[in-house]
Amino acid sequence: MELLLIPFLFALVSLVVPSNFVRQFSLLGGIVSLIVTIGHLCSFDTNTFVSILDPSFITSFGLTCKMGYDGMSLFMVLLTNVITFLIILSNYNRDLASNRSFTALVFFMQLGLLGVFTSFDGLLFYIFWEITLIPVFLIALWYGGSDRKQALIKFFIYTFIGSLAMLLSLMAIKSYAKSFSHSDLMAVELTAKSAFWIFGGFFLAFAIKIPLFPFHTWQPNTYTTSPMAGTMLLSALMLKMALYGMIRWLIPLAPEALSDVTYPVVVLGIIGVVYAGILAIKQNDIKRLFAFASISHVGLIAAGAILYSHDNWSAVFIQMANHSLVAVGLFLSADIIEQRLGSRKLSDLGGIAKQAPRFAIMFGALVLAAISVPFSSGFIGEFMLLKGVYSYNWLIGFVAGTTLIVGAVYTLRAYQLSMYGAPKSTPFADLTWNEWLAYLIIMVTIVVFGVYPQAIIDFLSPSIDSLIESVKTINTLHK
Amino acid sequence: MDALIVIFLSGLLSLFVAFAKKPILVLLTACAGLITAAILLMNQWNNPYSLFDYKGLEFTHTSISYSLIAILFAFLAILAGFKSFKEQPDHVGDYIGLFLFSLTGALCMVSFTDLFMFFLGLEIMSIPIYVLAGTAKKDVRSSEAALKYFLTGSFATGILLFGIAWVYGATGTFDVNELASVINMEDTHSSLLYVGVLLILSSFLFKVGAAPFHFWSPDVYSGSPSVVTGFMAAVVKLGAFGAFIKLFTVCFPALHDFWSPALVILAILTMFVGNLSALSQTTFKRLLAYSSITHVGYALLTILTQSPESESNLIFYLFSYGFSVIALITIAMIINDEQDRLEAFKGLAKRNPILGFVAVLALLSLAGVPPLVGFFGKYLVFSTAISEYPTLVIIAIINSGIGIYYYLKTVITVVSKDELPESNAKLSVTGIQWFVLAVCSFGLLFGGFFVSCI
Repeated sequence: MELLLIPFLFALVSLVVPSNFVRQFSLLGGIVSLIVTIGHLCSFDTNTFVSILDPSFITSFGLTCKMGYDGMSLFMVLLTNVITFLIILSNYNRDLASNRSFTALVFFMQLGLLGVFTSFDGLLFYIFWEITLIPVFLIALWYGGSDRKQALIKFFIYTFIGSLAMLLSLMAIKSYAKSFSHSDLMAVELTAKSAFWIFGGFFLAFAIKIPLFPFHTWQPNTYTTSPMAGTMLLSALMLKMALYGMIRWLIPLAPEALSDVTYPVVVLGIIGVVYAGILAIKQNDIKRLFAFASISHVGLIAAGAILYSHDNWSAVFIQMANHSLVAVGLFLSADIIEQRLGSRKLSDLGGIAKQAPRFAIMFGALVLAAISVPFSSGFIGEFMLLKGVYSYNWLIGFVAGTTLIVGAVYTLRAYQLSMYGAPKSTPFADLTWNEWLAYLIIMVTIVVFGVYPQAIIDFLSPSIDSLIESVKTINTLHK
Repeated sequence: MDALIVIFLSGLLSLFVAFAKKPILVLLTACAGLITAAILLMNQWNNPYSLFDYKGLEFTHTSISYSLIAILFAFLAILAGFKSFKEQPDHVGDYIGLFLFSLTGALCMVSFTDLFMFFLGLEIMSIPIYVLAGTAKKDVRSSEAALKYFLTGSFATGILLFGIAWVYGATGTFDVNELASVINMEDTHSSLLYVGVLLILSSFLFKVGAAPFHFWSPDVYSGSPSVVTGFMAAVVKLGAFGAFIKLFTVCFPALHDFWSPALVILAILTMFVGNLSALSQTTFKRLLAYSSITHVGYALLTILTQSPESESNLIFYLFSYGFSVIALITIAMIINDEQDRLEAFKGLAKRNPILGFVAVLALLSLAGVPPLVGFFGKYLVFSTAISEYPTLVIIAIINSGIGIYYYLKTVITVVSKDELPESNAKLSVTGIQWFVLAVCSFGLLFGGFFVSCI
């Protein structure tokens, strides 16, 4: 329970702390959450399910408020807290960091995310899912760049409509079940037709949030106009809710529909990989480029999530962690460039490597991680995912494989155009300590998991196995 | 019954107390009456004994819930409007008295067992509102609202009376329970009954403001003084819906196949008309009026679904709706813009962060964003209806999607930081208004926990 209470308390208190103490306070909040999570991690046995809230009553309409974590959930909780800490850390020397309402919103966001990852009740999941929308919307609205209003209205309405579709599916599946608890909803036996529609409702919500092609049109504008922290929250954490939701809710609840929908979902994911990759090559705005890169990467993860097998799901989790870390790093780099030079346009940049060698090294290392070179966690994740897609259908696998090439093209192009060549700009201040530290944590984590991914795989294995096992038994029972 | 008498007497008393020329005394009288009535009703929950009894009125658990909620909202509305009453010190007693009389009518409407009592309740509830709608005497729009409401309202009442007469002609009784048993016994019904039901249905749809009987409501809502608008949206609607669901789930369920197709089409029409018209509104109270039409469309779902929960769902829905309306109306009164434009809300969060916060809560609750109370209200209505009317629920969900556009736009107007407020004059909020806003925000934030109580 303290996992959720800590961000909540920090959010409330940060509204009243003196404004010259806000940034230290927010950093403290990030560290405390992280330490508590590590405490939970140490006492966690991977085979078990730990309940953090299990009231004995069920409300008249079936809300059970069950919360807890198994390996997968705890992994996501850890990811959330690490990333939130990194976001606070990388924001530390910005003006925003001493803004009270901004700090409170970040902690509220963290609360919502933790709720999403620890809910084992369908309606509670939905409630937390919606709660996360408000803080990130306000962060982007209050502290974002120019022309944000149209982009944000589009973003909010898009995701809200997706959520409504999910609510519809939840209500439909609840009409067969006795409560909203995860196990009760999973036990529901659906006909292929109703499973298809229920799957559709959930899928729409998740596809919009991820975003999958062709539901991605809100994403580049929203990412570009949001402030750095908002973009990081959106890309590093918010879309992980949808990927996690696919694994925890979509597939276990409506496995009956899988035989019909796997193919289209995989195809949509791979179209996104190629399409967004090609668009990324043509971008001039470096933040927009990373936004398209993000669409390209998550398309592959979504395809891996729908092709459910033990290996694919392990790869999905590795890749989620990797994508979060890389996204934080890349958007931090984009923001550093924008903050120091006042422009994100690749055509205005050049020669930064000469002026800021430390930044160039860190950014370069991140770029290598982003294109999944061996010894980075992205290599393992992408390799396993591609292998999964390839064994599903070799042609799709082949097309998906071009991501490695296209990804290298757009990322290296961005790096080359901004870092090399003749300096085009005024002096470029090198990294401050907090940026340096954030990069260091990201790189160390990426390399550690690149060298020893088995740690994640072993940690997740029992919970993935038990979820897949129950999906399979339900499927065979019903046939 | 005791509660009814107490409310009526406190209304009467406040007319006389007003001679003392001390507005606060009138307010205290009214509050004392309302609180006593609420205590009496709560007492009656477990203990059906009451001092006065009349067989035309029956206080069951359902009608007590309706009554308590109506009393709560009337209480909040009167408190919220007190500042504007004081501006005309000669009439404070009239205003408050009329509100209490109207509330008396609303209580009759949710607890009748006799069509005659029902008709009487409707009139007692409506006539004070006709007067109240025109109380801003210097404002032409207020007179227009009063006249419009009176003419169309009395026409609808006539139709209702006509319908009751036809039903009486077909069945020979006014009593609700007898009516139900007579209708349930017969296999084939006389055509008199069908005509009667249709007439009653149309007058109901008029009273709650469902399309295509909604044309009066935007004009009346925007013309009336704000506090009257709030009272109409929260209390009058509650009374009308209470009577509506009682009549159609107790008396006419046997005719469900007859009236439900009409209601399905009208519910769809109501949602779309309300939402699509709301999209382009520029004044606040018209926006509220159209959004309330949409909410009526959602609430009609409960009347269509003949399940045991639909009554409590409707109560909760109206409960959740009232808090938003009263909070927004109070804020509109604090901003006090002559033309009632939406732009007057610009930068509200900057001028007064707490007011901005409450406004955002109320708007998001209307839009149905969890964990606010509006979400639970909507959820209950939709989830009960989904097994019987899946298409209708899908349409309602689509409408919620359309609705988010104008709520969100208003939210952005309130919270946006780069649109400067038009005037930087400090907003003066009285202690009473803070109290109303506090109660409303409590209801909006934690109302969801009361789901299981109702």
